[in-house]
Amino acid sequence: MRMLTRKILDRAFTAGGYLAVALMTLFLLWVLVPIFVKGAGAYVFVGTVEYRRMMLGEFGRGNEQRVAAEWAEVQRAREPVYEAIAAFERELPALPVARRKELKPAFQAVREGVAVLLGPAPGKPLPALTRMIYGQTRWRQAQDKAANILFEETWDYSGNGSQKVHVPRQPLFEGTALAPVFPLLRKELRSLLRPRLTFYPRFLTDPSIDAHFFGGIGPEVLGTVYLALGAMLIAVPLGIVAAVYFQEYAREGPVLTFLRSCVNTLAGVPSVVFGLFGLAFFINTLHVSPGKSVLAGALTLALLVLPTVIRSSEEAIAAVPRAYKEGALALGAGQWRTVLTVILPAALPGILTGIVISMGRAAGETAPVVFTAAVSVGKWVTPSEVLSQPTPALSWNLYNLCTEHEAVEEIRHVQYGMAATLVLIVLALNLAAILIRARVAKRLKV
Amino acid sequence: MILSSGEQTRRKLLSLAGRSFLFAVTSAAALAVLAIIFFIARDALPFFRASGVGEFFFSKAWYPAHEPPQFGAAAIFAGSFLVTGAAVVLAVPPGIFAALCMSDILPFKVSQVLKPVIEMLAAIPSVVYGFFALTVVAPFLQDSGRWLPGNIEIVSGVNALTASVILGVMALPTIVSVSEDALQAAGRELREGSYALGATRAETLVNVVIPASMSGICSAVLLGIMRALGETMVVWMASGNAAQIPKPWYNLLQPVRTLTATIAGDMGEADQMTGSAHYHVLFAMGFCLLLFSFVCNLAGEWMVARQRKRLRGG
Amino acid sequence: MRVSLFVAGLVAGCAVAQAQDKLVLDGSTTVGPIAKAFAESYMRQNPGVNITVSESGSGNGAKALLNGTCGIANLSRDLKGTERKAMEEKGVKPVAHVVAYDALPVIVHPSNRVKGLTIEQIRNIFTGAIRNWKEVGGEDRAIVVISRDTNSGTFETFKELVLGKEAKIVESAEYTGSNGGIRQRVQMTKGAIGYAGLGFVDRSVKSLEINGVAPSVETVLDKTYPISRELFMFTNGEPAPESLAGTFIGMSRSEKGREIIGEIGFVPVPPKQ
Repeated sequence: MRMLTRKILDRAFTAGGYLAVALMTLFLLWVLVPIFVKGAGAYVFVGTVEYRRMMLGEFGRGNEQRVAAEWAEVQRAREPVYEAIAAFERELPALPVARRKELKPAFQAVREGVAVLLGPAPGKPLPALTRMIYGQTRWRQAQDKAANILFEETWDYSGNGSQKVHVPRQPLFEGTALAPVFPLLRKELRSLLRPRLTFYPRFLTDPSIDAHFFGGIGPEVLGTVYLALGAMLIAVPLGIVAAVYFQEYAREGPVLTFLRSCVNTLAGVPSVVFGLFGLAFFINTLHVSPGKSVLAGALTLALLVLPTVIRSSEEAIAAVPRAYKEGALALGAGQWRTVLTVILPAALPGILTGIVISMGRAAGETAPVVFTAAVSVGKWVTPSEVLSQPTPALSWNLYNLCTEHEAVEEIRHVQYGMAATLVLIVLALNLAAILIRARVAKRLKV
Repeated sequence: MILSSGEQTRRKLLSLAGRSFLFAVTSAAALAVLAIIFFIARDALPFFRASGVGEFFFSKAWYPAHEPPQFGAAAIFAGSFLVTGAAVVLAVPPGIFAALCMSDILPFKVSQVLKPVIEMLAAIPSVVYGFFALTVVAPFLQDSGRWLPGNIEIVSGVNALTASVILGVMALPTIVSVSEDALQAAGRELREGSYALGATRAETLVNVVIPASMSGICSAVLLGIMRALGETMVVWMASGNAAQIPKPWYNLLQPVRTLTATIAGDMGEADQMTGSAHYHVLFAMGFCLLLFSFVCNLAGEWMVARQRKRLRGG
Repeated sequence: MRVSLFVAGLVAGCAVAQAQDKLVLDGSTTVGPIAKAFAESYMRQNPGVNITVSESGSGNGAKALLNGTCGIANLSRDLKGTERKAMEEKGVKPVAHVVAYDALPVIVHPSNRVKGLTIEQIRNIFTGAIRNWKEVGGEDRAIVVISRDTNSGTFETFKELVLGKEAKIVESAEYTGSNGGIRQRVQMTKGAIGYAGLGFVDRSVKSLEINGVAPSVETVLDKTYPISRELFMFTNGEPAPESLAGTFIGMSRSEKGREIIGEIGFVPVPPKQ
């Protein structure tokens, strides 16, 4: 009996372990799957004729003749819509006052909705903002906008709680010249917009147009690359030198303990404090640049990743078999030469692993760059400008777009695209680290 | 080979120069943390000097924009601790179970495959976690109130619970990997001795292995706490930022405000150039965060050292 | 053929180190969309010009102007006395340019049956004297107060125009760092009430009538809507009219600039004041 209880307890314990591991894996999937699935929507989606017009107009891409031909056909298909609107405009003043009052706001909503869906009506002056020059470029959003015209979304406050109700607009306009618009939008939307599966790999490298309504995330990606590379350029030499000192030269004592404590504390400093420090020290005290710049951001990030670089380099150096070192020393090489020609090369893969992981960390950090490097709109930063120019960066612009943008919902796909791209960059770096580590493990075994 | 005395001195000098260079660079890297502490403290001190510590630590009235301003940060400290505490409570049991599973239960090959899972969880940038919290977790939590017993209405999906769950996930990799190291360091002999006495695996782990690696596990938890306490973007985006102590205090479904989020949120708009009290109070918060991480770090180091000593001795 | 700009960006800078016309803008998240749209439109017409826009907050914008790290500071409030004084001491002469008007609509979840409130009621809600929607004619639901951060320009305007000097916001109020954030929170939360710049309010939330006046371009211009304000761009000294900063700010009075402001959702300044 007692044996049985013990056995059951043992099993339960094992199950608990499995459960914990499963939970962790599931959570990872819960985070990654939506981000990658929706993020893919930025690269692959069903685009409309408006998308192809926009690409031709803004980026000069696509076959001019083919787009023009398609545009002519689409315009023909859209004619009845515009004709119905024009006819109703003429009809409206003749209607009885009560009816006019009832219809006017609804008509205005329909007219505005059509402009949002299909772009400005032919013959009207072009709006100033690029986002308004074109209709809906993505089929999914176009369907939503069409539904906004067909149905009025209101709330019914009569009951106990309030209910969202979709009131069809068509019955309101029954018998007027506007009536034919509704079945057209319901049944002929495809011929009005010509949805087609579209690949947009250049999302990764295109600049944004009109606050990320169109275009891609190129400057952000480039900025992230600059910041991560810059941080590593500064942190790696420092980190390796410190690791060599700790492992090969330092003698046990209060000074060493103190320096180690310093490095460990640096690892625990909250990232936002790094941001405060970067602003106060690099920009306002040292004046490394006239204002925010890639340089200031890279310096701040370098400090942030320094402890990781030091630690992983130390581990890699410590893992070099003693025999290597003793062999070199026995052959008469000095300590310097031993470090430079034997220990560091042998430890290199391990050091690289740490570097690559730290680079991922630097690429993803937001709080340290907010006050030191990141801007929401900026041109491509060229390598000659990194010392003085601030840059957009994926991490900050993702935050900016999902909280501060004026049309957060309209550009969800860009946000997901950014998140997916950022995660992909970081995970690719981690994958590289895993591969390097696997090779090291193999080599050490042989 | 006998070197002339001149050559010997030259070598010695060179070696000394090299050593000094290494020492100088290392110190510069290590002393960066002192520079950080100095800069933060320099801007934090004026606040403590002007307002003292009483209001800051014990009053709940956080009205920095009021005339006259009130800087009672008690609710913000409470918010930080509540969110961190909840995150650790959520993350520690699965974290330790997962570490046990990987070190003692799963075959070596499977746990090698699981390592990248942990690394990926650790690698995902915090702003992506924040974005995920805002677009996926918060709406999900808000809807889930209906399915709970008692049909609780979750007023706002952005609250202490959302932040804690995400922070817990972010602290998980640290907890798992550090405690797994500690568990493995406990050694085969201990385990084999216990099995030889007829103990089951669970009994071996609970009665022998975990006590032996207790300080390692504790330092894992401490590191997890540090990670959660210092995290900025997630709490800024997902905790709701209300400077209040929830009623009752364990009600995680209410919004709270944390130290890091206050710094990140207020610094942008703070009236910095004149060195207003509001500017300095943010540095005072940064200083407190630094102190916490310093203490956690020392405690963690002390525990690791103790464990090492014990294992060596025993 | 168009070679990818990405590669061009990496390579070109090494070779061409031409002196570019540069303009840096920093400051308010409310003025941000205007500044961003102006910058993109300007750079499109003048490809040699490089304009960067940061949205790090009104206070940060003022500080950047003081330190000379930006050419134009965007503020959603006027400079404070202390800021002016610090600038004078450093020899910076701040010049205010009103680029647009903005209203602060008070927004609620569209399911909320309350149509309008008085200033008094809003004050009571934000200070915690009214905590349930049924007290102002809504259904029985707890009010979730959502505010901008306590030292944003938007908060200060709201406090000054609605709450008054003495009032303290209820401690359970949630804070977000941006206008878009507030709208997002309100649209997700049934019991929520918040306020945001006119340009950030869309049909996903319901803006309330205040003292019977709904926020709109007309009610802002004729000043019947009580919670409205001016949006500023500050420069150090009056910029020469043909300089980059001068022409940039001049856009707010041009036909195209006013059209942009209107299309984003703010209220353009009349061409002649």
